[in-house]
Amino acid sequence: MRKSGWDKTMVNKKAENKDSILNELVRYGQTGMTFSASIFIGFGMGWWLDNKLFAGKTAPWFSFIFLGFGIVAGFKHLWDMNKKISHD
Amino acid sequence: MEHPILFISVILDWIGLPVPHGPIGATFLEKLCEPYMTYSWLVMAFLFVVPKLTLGNLELVPGTGQNFWEALISGLFEFIAEQLGREKAKVFFPIFATFFLYTVIANMIGLLPGFMSPTSSLNVTMAMTIMVWLMHHFLGFRYHGWKYYKHFTGPIPLIAPFMMVLELISNVARLLSLSMRLFGNILAKETLLAVLFMLAGAFFAPLPILALGVLVSLIQAVVFVLLAIIYCAGAMEPAH
Repeated sequence: MRKSGWDKTMVNKKAENKDSILNELVRYGQTGMTFSASIFIGFGMGWWLDNKLFAGKTAPWFSFIFLGFGIVAGFKHLWDMNKKISHD
Repeated sequence: MEHPILFISVILDWIGLPVPHGPIGATFLEKLCEPYMTYSWLVMAFLFVVPKLTLGNLELVPGTGQNFWEALISGLFEFIAEQLGREKAKVFFPIFATFFLYTVIANMIGLLPGFMSPTSSLNVTMAMTIMVWLMHHFLGFRYHGWKYYKHFTGPIPLIAPFMMVLELISNVARLLSLSMRLFGNILAKETLLAVLFMLAGAFFAPLPILALGVLVSLIQAVVFVLLAIIYCAGAMEPAH
């Protein structure tokens, strides 16, 4: 049988050089962007729920709750990064 | 801000096609004639035609053109293999190499007068990012089956719905951050060049920015491809 690229046995194989300088530079450089973006996305979701889905009846509440979710998601991203650093 | 002179738009105008004056055209034909669309096609045509012209017939002892492309392609392959491992790199090489070549040419073309970078429009970068985003989730399902959802629930079942929302938000945030970074960097380069050219073009004021622009174009292309690779690798690795 032809060995295809989708072979599941290679999933667990560690990549040869995963933590090169460039890789880390890119990953941690993107962290700030992702942090702010998740806050905006969280607020945007809440705003959409408030003003589009429920047509303003729940007005500020979903926005605030999802803004909180967005901030927590941003910090969770930082937390994951932190775990990744201490793991390596 | 109005871009100085875009020669494709001038030609299309001269032919009689409706070139939109704002950022977004009203009709379908106007949408097709937007500068970022036409220049995107120019980049694609460049990527089709130039390798065809320079490569010629493949030979065992490579000439200059073949040497250049072989060095570029093998360098790219090694770069991707470093991140993903050799077997996976063979599978994913075409899409990442295409992203890299397209992005680097699209970024660099804006340094020439009369051209603009298609990547300085959010539409183009967003389209590329949506492709990456859909691809990495597709790969996640391809490699893990339905168990892929465990990537999003976290370790504790009790707070799984909460974690789901958080992961959803940070996943969509990837879409925004990846497209916005490329778009912002290239738009900044374009705008800065245009402003400096209009202010003091006669005194070669844009020259240092042109030099930096080459650097920014290359770095942003590398960063875009590397992040796409990192996202795909993250979707393919086993859940914690």
